[in-house]
Amino acid sequence: MRKDLPGKIFIAVTLLLLYLPILVLAFYSFTTSANIGSVHGFTMDNYINLFSNEELRGMILGTVLLAFGSSLLAAVLGTLGAIGAFYSKKMTKSFVGVMNQVPVINADVVTGFSVCIMLVVVLGVDKSTYVPLVIGHVVLSAPFVYLSVVPKLKQMDASLYEAAMDLGATPRQALTKVVLPQIQPGIVSGFALAVTLSLDDYFIASYTKPATFDTISTYVVNATKGSQTEIKTALWALSTLIFLIVVLAVALMNLRSGKEGSKFEG
Amino acid sequence: MKVRRVRVLALCLTGAVLASLPWPQGGRAQAREETITLRVCNWEEYIDLGDWDEEERIELDNGVDIFGENALYDEFEVWYYETYGKRVQVEYSCFGTNEDLYNQLTLGDTYDLVCPSDYMIMKLIAEGALEPYSESFFDREDEENYYARCVSPYIADVFEENEIDGESWSRYAAGYMWGVTGVLYNPELMTREEASTWAVFDNPDFYRQITLKDNVRDTYFSTLGYLRQEQLMDETFLADADYQEKLGHMMNDVSPETIDAVEQLLGRIMGNIYALETDSGKADMVTGKIAANYQWSGDAVYAMDQAEEDDVYLQFAVPRECTNLWFDGWVMLRAGIGEDMEKKQAAEAFVNFLSRPENAVRNMYYIGYTSAISGGEDDTVFSYLDWCYGAEEDEEDTVAYPVGYFFSGDNEDENFIVYTSQEQVGRQLYTQYPSQEVISRAAVMGYFDEEQTRDINQMWINIRCLDVREIPLWCVLVTLCIVVTVVAAAVLRKKNHYCG
Amino acid sequence: MGVFRFTRKQLCIPYAVFLLCFVAAPLLVIIYYAFTNGEGEFTFGNLTGFFTSPYTIGTLAYSFAIAVVTTCVCLLLAYPIAYILARSKWKSKAVIVVMFVMPMWINFTLRITALKEILTLIEGNLAFHPFLNTIIGMTYDFLPFMILPMYTTLLKLDKSLLEAAADLGASPFQVFCKVTLPLSVPGIISGVVMVFLPSMTNYVVLDMLYNSTYIMGSLIGSFFSAYDWHNGSMIALILLLIILVFTLITDRYAEEDTGNRGGALL
Repeated sequence: MRKDLPGKIFIAVTLLLLYLPILVLAFYSFTTSANIGSVHGFTMDNYINLFSNEELRGMILGTVLLAFGSSLLAAVLGTLGAIGAFYSKKMTKSFVGVMNQVPVINADVVTGFSVCIMLVVVLGVDKSTYVPLVIGHVVLSAPFVYLSVVPKLKQMDASLYEAAMDLGATPRQALTKVVLPQIQPGIVSGFALAVTLSLDDYFIASYTKPATFDTISTYVVNATKGSQTEIKTALWALSTLIFLIVVLAVALMNLRSGKEGSKFEG
Repeated sequence: MKVRRVRVLALCLTGAVLASLPWPQGGRAQAREETITLRVCNWEEYIDLGDWDEEERIELDNGVDIFGENALYDEFEVWYYETYGKRVQVEYSCFGTNEDLYNQLTLGDTYDLVCPSDYMIMKLIAEGALEPYSESFFDREDEENYYARCVSPYIADVFEENEIDGESWSRYAAGYMWGVTGVLYNPELMTREEASTWAVFDNPDFYRQITLKDNVRDTYFSTLGYLRQEQLMDETFLADADYQEKLGHMMNDVSPETIDAVEQLLGRIMGNIYALETDSGKADMVTGKIAANYQWSGDAVYAMDQAEEDDVYLQFAVPRECTNLWFDGWVMLRAGIGEDMEKKQAAEAFVNFLSRPENAVRNMYYIGYTSAISGGEDDTVFSYLDWCYGAEEDEEDTVAYPVGYFFSGDNEDENFIVYTSQEQVGRQLYTQYPSQEVISRAAVMGYFDEEQTRDINQMWINIRCLDVREIPLWCVLVTLCIVVTVVAAAVLRKKNHYCG
Repeated sequence: MGVFRFTRKQLCIPYAVFLLCFVAAPLLVIIYYAFTNGEGEFTFGNLTGFFTSPYTIGTLAYSFAIAVVTTCVCLLLAYPIAYILARSKWKSKAVIVVMFVMPMWINFTLRITALKEILTLIEGNLAFHPFLNTIIGMTYDFLPFMILPMYTTLLKLDKSLLEAAADLGASPFQVFCKVTLPLSVPGIISGVVMVFLPSMTNYVVLDMLYNSTYIMGSLIGSFFSAYDWHNGSMIALILLLIILVFTLITDRYAEEDTGNRGGALL
């Protein structure tokens, strides 16, 4: 146990540093201040606004829906693509591999701009259908799903699939019962990454979103002129809520894994 | 069988992706017949969204009671139906910068009514993208033509005098908000004298304590003002009969030589300032990170109001050399309006609705900027000014602050003098309605043609980018060493592999 | 055998089509813009313009410097964390990994706002250390992207290999250098790709932390917002090519390496 200690401290300190800014936001979300710096009084107004402000509610809902919807699509596409390409001939494999790298290494500005040009100017799709936005976010995140699945496929024992087939499994069974469980952690982390990327994205949304819709990012970055701080500080409250949900989820997961652990031990 | 199913799945997914491309556009034409859809695009947070608390109610001396219940664009829908008997639906959206708006227009967004700034309006006029206002819009006899009846004579003049290709702005644009640029400063850290010049950004006493704006036009203007300081302050130049015109020319000078000179000077200034910002400067003034920043008057008013809550009392100074007079105005887009006369009428009505004095006051109260509306016969706007800044009756040491140039066109007009406390002369009142003396040295910064735009943007890139010739030698050497080591290590490793 | 290989390959069709439509085709649009001028005529002017200007080359160097330093810092922080977590027998290690990713669910613009205030508190005046601040901001933003792929790779590492090496008399340090580190190269590579590239282009971090010097992303963005699509596209294209070459080299190196190792161990 003692051997673990330096490692534990290192991880704890890094986590603390990562969460420090969020804790600062959380603290200020309970104050009346419009800027981080000085405190005059404490209030729950930010939390009330968070739930009563219709514009804000729509924005949050839209951002979350977009993140999960596009990530789901990205997870399906990326996983299928990774499995397919992994077993394909070199040509297809390298085509998918190289094309997959493009959005990963491309500046988001360029991805957003080029997808916008392609869909809106060349194909004439209306931005207000949300299609460009969703496609833009899938372009952003599917490659990351692909990238997190491929190492899993490489690590997977190649003979497992053949063994399953030899034992009489159909290709579909071999795929769902053997391959998918093996690469499942990759898919899950890919999906999580996709959600994260979509929530954090500003550049792509700013080029492809319908004019009447704002994600949290585009709202925060675009609010350069004018005066309303209500939404700004309400977003601090939102950060705090997300943080609390994370803490809760972590505690629950801890509890569960603790139980499972004791089951194994017992 | 199973094999086929997988194949079908693959095909279905392909289909799903492809199917999402062409989107059927049905059902829209039907709705249009009953309701007019007006697509409006405005700056972020540039209109009153209503939802005021009861204690925010403004009761003016002239008996008008102002209270923002709903967003103005929602109230417009009701008002339009009551006045004209037609249903209109406003699709309201926002943009962040003039360039963003322009890009949105080129990249597939269609709007009917937008609110860009002066130079962007000029660019759009020059490109023929705008629909002129109809003649009836300017008919002052019509009760509902609030814009024509209530616009400030000063603003109306400026819009009339400024021309693009022989056509004055007023044909295409209706003023919404206006102001000047200057220096917002903290009087505890800086004197008014120090702040009242464009040279402040180069002042070594405030090394890394002042911010400039992160856009080429504002920065160019302030640096040019500093560069031409001597000429601008010259007695004979100030006394020149064509002073205004010459000032305009001088501050719109984008000849290659001038750009070069500005670049040199700006390069030096960049070494002295804190940073370039677009929005964070206001908060940074309050938290004390910086002593001063370049600011648009509207944002300065807002920053002063905000800072008061934190017991910081900021002031606004307009440099003595000159200042940039700017406007945001409503323009109708050809691409959106087309031949649809009903839509055009609704768009004009929208502008008129926003120009109603009480709505202008609501906007001013909410966003802190100065409306282009003076109220005409209606004294609501002036009453609001008095309500905001007028001294209490028992107060001593009041100062007479004339704003007649804006309200009636005559600064001597006794009806439009605010009696205010001494401190307001450096603060919100002065910022929101600059004195005529400030206005006299204000210049509009026009739009630049393609070549000039390219030159000025290139200057900006040169300023913002690291010049490769400025990288110190040791950096290059260290980098080279590291690269050589890494490559050598890789090669050696590979050799070992093959040997082993 | 032939039949099911066919179906497995089939799986990548949707993704390949998707990449073709929304990555390859937009790329062609970018190439078109990069090699034309305002009048739509073919030109090399944009290309030569890039390589003859000391400012664009300087920006490239500056972006590289930021990206290299950020990546190194992230690597040095993330590898121990991923290693400790993957090797440990803690019941809740999955939970800790989730905790590292969770801050990203709160929009980065909000987190950086808070980070800015914390840094001001420590440094006094942010304007004195623009480069340092940028590195801190980027590291803060991208660290999870580095931890995640390395953790998943290290987790899948065959423990019997390590035991075998130890049994054969290797010291723990030797085991780490000769077995663990080479086997985790794929994870490191995907981590590096995920951190290096965005840190060359994510200019919002620089803007928010008051670093006024342009990086590649801001340069592209500034061209696009100044309606100069041609120069913007050219710079995007150059950036893309440089990075593509870079990733191809690292990819090949990684594959060779693991392949050799695998062979050697057999």
